[in-house]
Amino acid sequence: MDTFFLSLAVIICGGVLPLIMHRHFTIMKAGCCVLIAAGCMLGFIDALSLLLHPGVAATYSLPWLHIFTLSFQMDSISAFFLVPIFIISPLAVLYSFHYMEKPEHSFRTAINYFFNAILIVSMALVACADNIPTFALAWEIMSISSYFLVVYDYQNKETRQAGYLYFIFAQGGAMFLFAAFALIYCYTGSFAFTGFAAIPDTVKLVVFVLAFIGFGSKAGIFPLHIWLPYAHPAAPSHISAVMSGVMIKMGIYGIIRIYALLAVPSMIFGQIVLIVGMVTGVLGVVYALGNQDVKKLLAYSSVENIGIILIGLGVGMIGVASGTDAMAFFGFAGAFMHVFNHSIFKSLLFMGAGAVLHKAKTRSIDQLGGLLKRMPVTGRTFLVGSLAISGLPPFSGFIGEFLIYYASFQGIHLQRTAFILSALAIISLAVIGGLATACFTKVVGLAFLGEPRTDKAAHASEVGFSMKLTMIFLAAACLLIGILPEPFVRLAFRGIADLPLVGTYNPDIFMDILRNIAKTAALFIALFLAVSILRKLLYWRKEVSAGPTWGCGFTRPTVRMQYTGTSYAASMIDFYRPFVPVKTLYSGIRKIFPGQTTYHTEVIDVAETNMHGKIVRPLFKLLQMLHWIQHGHIQLYIGYIVLTIVVMLLFL
Amino acid sequence: MESIVSFCFAILAAPLLSAIIMKVKAYIAGRKGPPILIKYYTLAKLFKKGSVYSTSSSFVFKLGPVVSFCSVLMVLLFFPFAGIKPLLSFHGDVIILLYLMGLGRFFTIIAALDTASPFEGMGAAREAYFSTLAEATLFVILLLFFRLNGAFSFAAFFTGPTAINLWSPAASLLLLVIVALFVVLLTENSRVPVDDPATHLELTMIHEVMILDHSGPDLALIELGAYLKLFFYSAFITCLLYPFQLDNVYLNGLIFYGIMGLIYVLVGITESIMARYKMNLVPKFILTSFALVFFATILTMEFVQ
Repeated sequence: MDTFFLSLAVIICGGVLPLIMHRHFTIMKAGCCVLIAAGCMLGFIDALSLLLHPGVAATYSLPWLHIFTLSFQMDSISAFFLVPIFIISPLAVLYSFHYMEKPEHSFRTAINYFFNAILIVSMALVACADNIPTFALAWEIMSISSYFLVVYDYQNKETRQAGYLYFIFAQGGAMFLFAAFALIYCYTGSFAFTGFAAIPDTVKLVVFVLAFIGFGSKAGIFPLHIWLPYAHPAAPSHISAVMSGVMIKMGIYGIIRIYALLAVPSMIFGQIVLIVGMVTGVLGVVYALGNQDVKKLLAYSSVENIGIILIGLGVGMIGVASGTDAMAFFGFAGAFMHVFNHSIFKSLLFMGAGAVLHKAKTRSIDQLGGLLKRMPVTGRTFLVGSLAISGLPPFSGFIGEFLIYYASFQGIHLQRTAFILSALAIISLAVIGGLATACFTKVVGLAFLGEPRTDKAAHASEVGFSMKLTMIFLAAACLLIGILPEPFVRLAFRGIADLPLVGTYNPDIFMDILRNIAKTAALFIALFLAVSILRKLLYWRKEVSAGPTWGCGFTRPTVRMQYTGTSYAASMIDFYRPFVPVKTLYSGIRKIFPGQTTYHTEVIDVAETNMHGKIVRPLFKLLQMLHWIQHGHIQLYIGYIVLTIVVMLLFL
Repeated sequence: MESIVSFCFAILAAPLLSAIIMKVKAYIAGRKGPPILIKYYTLAKLFKKGSVYSTSSSFVFKLGPVVSFCSVLMVLLFFPFAGIKPLLSFHGDVIILLYLMGLGRFFTIIAALDTASPFEGMGAAREAYFSTLAEATLFVILLLFFRLNGAFSFAAFFTGPTAINLWSPAASLLLLVIVALFVVLLTENSRVPVDDPATHLELTMIHEVMILDHSGPDLALIELGAYLKLFFYSAFITCLLYPFQLDNVYLNGLIFYGIMGLIYVLVGITESIMARYKMNLVPKFILTSFALVFFATILTMEFVQ
């Protein structure tokens, strides 16, 4: 663990440095990048070596405040989750070198770097925490530091609101977690993680549901995902990349950890996780399709991918419960693989969206267009990211989804509920895949291709070197994992090695399938190259000319006539109408010579409206009845405190 | 060797079979119709020409035809025609093949959007929408087959002692599957009643409007890809209808292509006697196929142990 803590120390130094040196803007950024990158590299090597050379899990503990012990343990699950933390975070910091380019906001930028470093460290600590106080502490630091990162642009009212919403969800989720931990403490009387398995089965179910809600609000399961589409657009893009690519996965880590610790092979856990996963996945992608704000769309797409990961976990848990080894093994492995892949392509896409926002100054797809010619690197890498996130071969997203498909197909031979659920898992994966393709053809096709719809888009230009470099690196990783999946899948297999109840399965047969998949991907690429060459030959010495797009007989087309994101998605959204209502405001044309008319349409998030109408408002009314307690006299507040202490001393 | 010949023969025969549809439609309409080799003439003509590219388009536009053609070609490499072992096959190939078709579709759609034409955008949106529905049906068919004989590749579905066909114990379920597959065939290949490839108004098209701006060899690749795709779906249905267990390869092939021809005739008849559905009815039509196969899957809970 020494290397691990050393790496965290270096990262902290990288965070503190900008606070001291904020007067020298460029040196501050460079120094911070180098230190954080060095620290992360160190941590990455440590985590990777533990994954590659499985042995006894490393542990470390120290006393804190004389009451608690802070204890850490790095087993294969932690190590696997550390890998994306230590890969994506430094890349995001590197990306920010050219993204944060306002020297007049030097101190604010320094604070952003500081909290960024704290976020990286706290995420790493969450993944390694080995008892309740350590975990709670790291979890809270993670939530709070990310809150400060979200509200970077605090002068903007919307950003403050988004930050507040995120804060409520982070703390509300933590409340559920603490309830779960408290319940466990009631039965075990110890803070150690090891005692979890000893509590009664019925209590385990309650604990799991509470923890699932708590972790789920961080991960963004439906209907607790409401904060994502607000916080991600509000945060700077490199922060969105880290939050969406890595931080929300800590919620997934928590679900896996609590499942592993409770160690109960009951069907109900898997059923809950799988059903929530399917709902989250399908609705997430439908909402993504309905939104025209690129960053909001990507946030909903994260919800969708969390759904896919949960489908994998759920299938795995059902596999454990029903004793189907292959199903359990591949379900968990698929979920792990997708966690890793999603961290790569989602951060790539957020960085691409950030580059677009940086240069075109708008996030709305309906105002973009033609960016591929103006931003060649951003456009091409975004295309690769889109292909990967749609789960298409030969890119990385397909590998994780294939593992989950494979696991679900193993459940087809089961009986009754398990069979129905496996079948539904396959169908929802197929539906999610199809809709994700529709969603990302929309982004690529409308924002990057065609003609620019506004002047802002027409005057966009390519971004700075460090931004391009990170995007190219991530896009290359997407392709590499797609055509050479074996080492990465082995890494995922190593990752699940320390999960109880799985891990006895021998994956050699599957490795053959995986090799065949790699070969098929390679064959496809070879075929593609061959046909491309053939095409070149067919055009040899032929007349190739350029002209305007065929307007179907219409001679005066304008760029504003192009299909928009709203119209592209309209019929698909209509299909899912009960879950995805659309609000339309149209002033109408009533006079013979109409004046200015307006048309506004917006997809309503049912989770948001229902939560607002059915929970927040009644709660608010109730709390207003207690308004008389708050009157602003400090003497009385001190009185409350004294009273509380007296009551506690007397009765507890 | 047999596999290679069978694969090449399939590619060569696909345009001919597509011409059958035109011939049948002409016959029912009381016309003589084009020569049976019309599709080959079309391809030869297109391959000889040059191209005009829209000034709005980028490299993606040129990538579209190549990727979609390659994806269909990949699927044919894995498909057992007339009971002959395919060139390639492995456990689990169906999933990557369906996803490769998805890749082809992805590029067709973005190539259409690349032209900045509102009509092509409209076609692209419809293609994206309808294919998500058709894909769900295909995956249910896969899981049904997996439940029936544990196979996970085209070769294992249709060859060997436990091949899935109308003469196997679960035949009654397969009747539903065949009807559903025929609906998927009509959808994925843009045939009436989902799409009308011969209509004169761009506003009402799906697939044809997406390729309006392609010309020359690019268009030829798209056309050839379309013939091959139709060929694949028909072969899928043919394999379900008839098990190829005769010793004589040639006789097998003859019966196979005979049934294939009948399916094309059926498509032609469907096109002649039906009009295209209104766009808002098309999803319901496709979902019918989903309902059928899902029902078949539920039935296996009692019948297949």
